[in-house]
Amino acid sequence: MTAGVRTIEVDEFLPHPARRVWRALVDPGELARWFVATDFRPEVGHHFTLDTGPWGATRCVVTAVEVERLLRYTWRNGPLDTVVTWRLVPEGTGTRVLLEHHGFDLDDPAQRRAFNGMGGGWRSAVLARLADHLAESGGPRT
Amino acid sequence: MPTTDDVFAAVANRHRRRLLDLLLAEPQSVNALAAHFDMRRPSVSEHLKVLRDAGLVSEERHGRERVYRVDAERLRPVADWLTPYEAYWRDALRDLRAHLDRNPEP
Repeated sequence: MTAGVRTIEVDEFLPHPARRVWRALVDPGELARWFVATDFRPEVGHHFTLDTGPWGATRCVVTAVEVERLLRYTWRNGPLDTVVTWRLVPEGTGTRVLLEHHGFDLDDPAQRRAFNGMGGGWRSAVLARLADHLAESGGPRT
Repeated sequence: MPTTDDVFAAVANRHRRRLLDLLLAEPQSVNALAAHFDMRRPSVSEHLKVLRDAGLVSEERHGRERVYRVDAERLRPVADWLTPYEAYWRDALRDLRAHLDRNPEP
């Protein structure tokens, strides 16, 4: 690992058992309903593709499957040669989902552009979402 | 006056991001916040202090309790800093949650 390699980490608590969350992550029928239609199978070595909207098709290979605990696949798209890992950790009656997207090489200008985003569209979208979120939660005190 | 660097340093920690998530949902006391963590209350208070020093949260006395809330304006540089992939995965997790809430275990 070099100093320029970055990882994105996102986590969320879901009030559902790990068994249920796992099925949503590995069943193609379920994936089509909340994520994207795909030829995914939870088998190490299986090749599949994902339609990743603004980035076009992403090519993936399953590299680790630990039922109801961990799912890992490679994520190759344009200049990116990265790895996505889903971890499920039971928490009370629910599950914490930890998602890690590793391997953005910021020393590579093409990858850095992919990491930072090409234009302003994404940033304004994120700001709009933040504004929505704040409006839903009562907004800032002024 | 906290700098943008202070803001980034404050959010460069999973526990503090979790605290911000919880406070975005609703203002609450340190005791209510601590119930969501394995760590002890003084540790939660320390993380809150970092967020407060960065200007991201403010506190208010309600009787014997201090209630913390997010100062949304200060979060703006952080939102601006989110990468497209981070936004992508946040959206994916939100969609996963909505899917599971609509289709719980039979």
